Amino acid sequence: MTGSHIPEAVFRRGRILLWGGCLAFAVALPLVFKTGFLLSLLCQMGVMVVFALSYNMLLGQTGLLSFGHAVYYGMGAFISMHTLNLLGKDGGPLLVALLPLVGGLAGLVAGVVLGYVTTKKAGTTFAMISLGIGELVAACALMFPGFFGGEGGISGNRVVGKGNLLGFTWGPQVEMYGLIVAWAFLATVAMFALTQTPLGRMANAVRDNPERAEFVGYDTQRVRYLMLILSGFFAGVAGGLTALNYEIVTSETLNAHTSGVVLLMTFVGGIGFFYGPIIGAILVTVMQIVIGGMTQAWLLYFGSFFLFMVLMAPGGIASVISMQRNLWQAGLFGRMVPHYLAVAVPVLVLMAGLIGLIEMSYALLAGEGVGAGDTATRVMKMDLHLNTPGPWLTAVAVTAVGLALTRWIGGRTRAAWNSTLSTLHGDRS
Amino acid sequence: MNAPAIRITGLKKNFGASEIIRGVDLDIHRGERHAIIGPNGAGKSTLFHLISARLPVSSGVIELKGENVIGLKPFEINRKGLSRSFQITNIFHNLSVFENLRCAVLWSLGYRYSFWHRLAGLADARLRAEAVMEDIGLADRRDTPAGILSYAEQRALEIGITIASGADVILLDEPTAGMSRSETDDAVALIRRVTEGKTLVMVEHDMGVVFGLADRISVLVYGQIIATDAPAAIRCNAAVQEAYLGTSLHSGNEHE
Repeated sequence: MTGSHIPEAVFRRGRILLWGGCLAFAVALPLVFKTGFLLSLLCQMGVMVVFALSYNMLLGQTGLLSFGHAVYYGMGAFISMHTLNLLGKDGGPLLVALLPLVGGLAGLVAGVVLGYVTTKKAGTTFAMISLGIGELVAACALMFPGFFGGEGGISGNRVVGKGNLLGFTWGPQVEMYGLIVAWAFLATVAMFALTQTPLGRMANAVRDNPERAEFVGYDTQRVRYLMLILSGFFAGVAGGLTALNYEIVTSETLNAHTSGVVLLMTFVGGIGFFYGPIIGAILVTVMQIVIGGMTQAWLLYFGSFFLFMVLMAPGGIASVISMQRNLWQAGLFGRMVPHYLAVAVPVLVLMAGLIGLIEMSYALLAGEGVGAGDTATRVMKMDLHLNTPGPWLTAVAVTAVGLALTRWIGGRTRAAWNSTLSTLHGDRS
Repeated sequence: MNAPAIRITGLKKNFGASEIIRGVDLDIHRGERHAIIGPNGAGKSTLFHLISARLPVSSGVIELKGENVIGLKPFEINRKGLSRSFQITNIFHNLSVFENLRCAVLWSLGYRYSFWHRLAGLADARLRAEAVMEDIGLADRRDTPAGILSYAEQRALEIGITIASGADVILLDEPTAGMSRSETDDAVALIRRVTEGKTLVMVEHDMGVVFGLADRISVLVYGQIIATDAPAAIRCNAAVQEAYLGTSLHSGNEHE
């Protein structure tokens, strides 16, 4: 690069610092989160980060909405698991550490074969074909129990052979976490680098305007196909990691549910930013495991959250962050903080009321404590008499107050937001 | 060896039962600026779509620099050195002005589908994109997303994308449509500058632009070319005056 590009060099140094900081942070996490539960949560996050980023290569970067991305993830997982079992005693920690690469290659081959069909067309046609292929492969998983292990799936042991690699056998969960961090970091760097290449940029061009891309010399079908193959590779890497992490792979890994979850993660995080899916993967995994462990109603909460995001912030969490950063740079962020704090209070009240209603309804429908006179039911760590009107009226009242306050203060926040935005855009032009 | 830039023979196009292009024969010489005019619905844009392979032809032959290009896909024709712009602005909306132009030069510089080159390291692509950006007067809009440019700026970018690859046959579809007088003058100067030494074919409604720029003019009426000649001869052509609107041709006079 020429010397006149000093700002770019500074920019790049900042980027290296950011990446290095993230890696150091990820490596240091187990020092604080030591319990088995938290460690496996972290492991799951790492795998999902890679999976969601690979999905965004299609959705955010190439404009391809896939309903069958779990196929590449699942193929990576199954092939890795079979390879692990094939290695058996002949294997060793080094070969095990390289298994995600085998998963990646499996995903890549699946991409070469299936992508040839799916990427013939873009748009709705692509979405439909990806859904069909996904169902097809999921059906195959139950038809060929020899390979896919039927309903029980196939399992293996990631500690194979003798000896260790630099002291690692991958047996303890914390060592597995280290392996996941290493692979996730490498994969993330590679996927980011890809966005800075001719193919990566032309994928954006094909997303924005396929017709024009054809008239600047590019075969849009080829661009989509290559992006899908590469995306399949990284999904396969994630699949290989999940196989090692859980030491079991079931047909669940390649079915429509998994494809749906990765779509939601990526979308909630924000498809317009490279780091969006990282946020989405972390957040949704936490919701899945933490809230999923606390309440049976977690899918309802998750669905509501997704609806809220689609309606209020269709650009995802990353777009909200980016917006705040713009305000910060324009010196306007401080102006909004009191409003954010003010609106948070009634929103929390509203949520408390709604959660109360939902939890009590779930408890009632589950048949706990109904008709048993004075028997109290434990809901949210409180002993409540669900057959008396008291708890219900309280929850309804809290909800109503929360709703009224949210509407009132929310309206003022919105007005402040709009005026701040117009100041921001006024400053720019 | 000196085949015309474009040779069209017996070209026909029908949509269902309706015939839009009804047998067009036309030679575009190398290095000339050729305008295609005609009343609304004459099939001018359709003719462009056929030449650039956006639409498949029904029958006839199109030769680009002596080579039959019937049946090729748009990107294949583009790679043979024919580039076109669109009547309705057709740019990469979410990409910056600079990225739009860089996308337009990548193929011609041989980077194909590379995922092993770093874009930031491709000095030739950057320089070429910057040169075009300078040419079309958008250098100070380098990092602005194309979608929020003003209309005239988007039209300039549209031309920029078209010429950036260095194609030697340029098709411009109504490059000045919807522009004010001063914007049009700028656009004409721009077109003149960037198509220097190239073959230019354009569809245009503004007679000032047509008579100011073109070396030769073809008049397309109901899917057939009724005359091809130098501007002065076209203006005097009785058949043209009868079939086309004399008033428009006079308005061309006023601008000169």
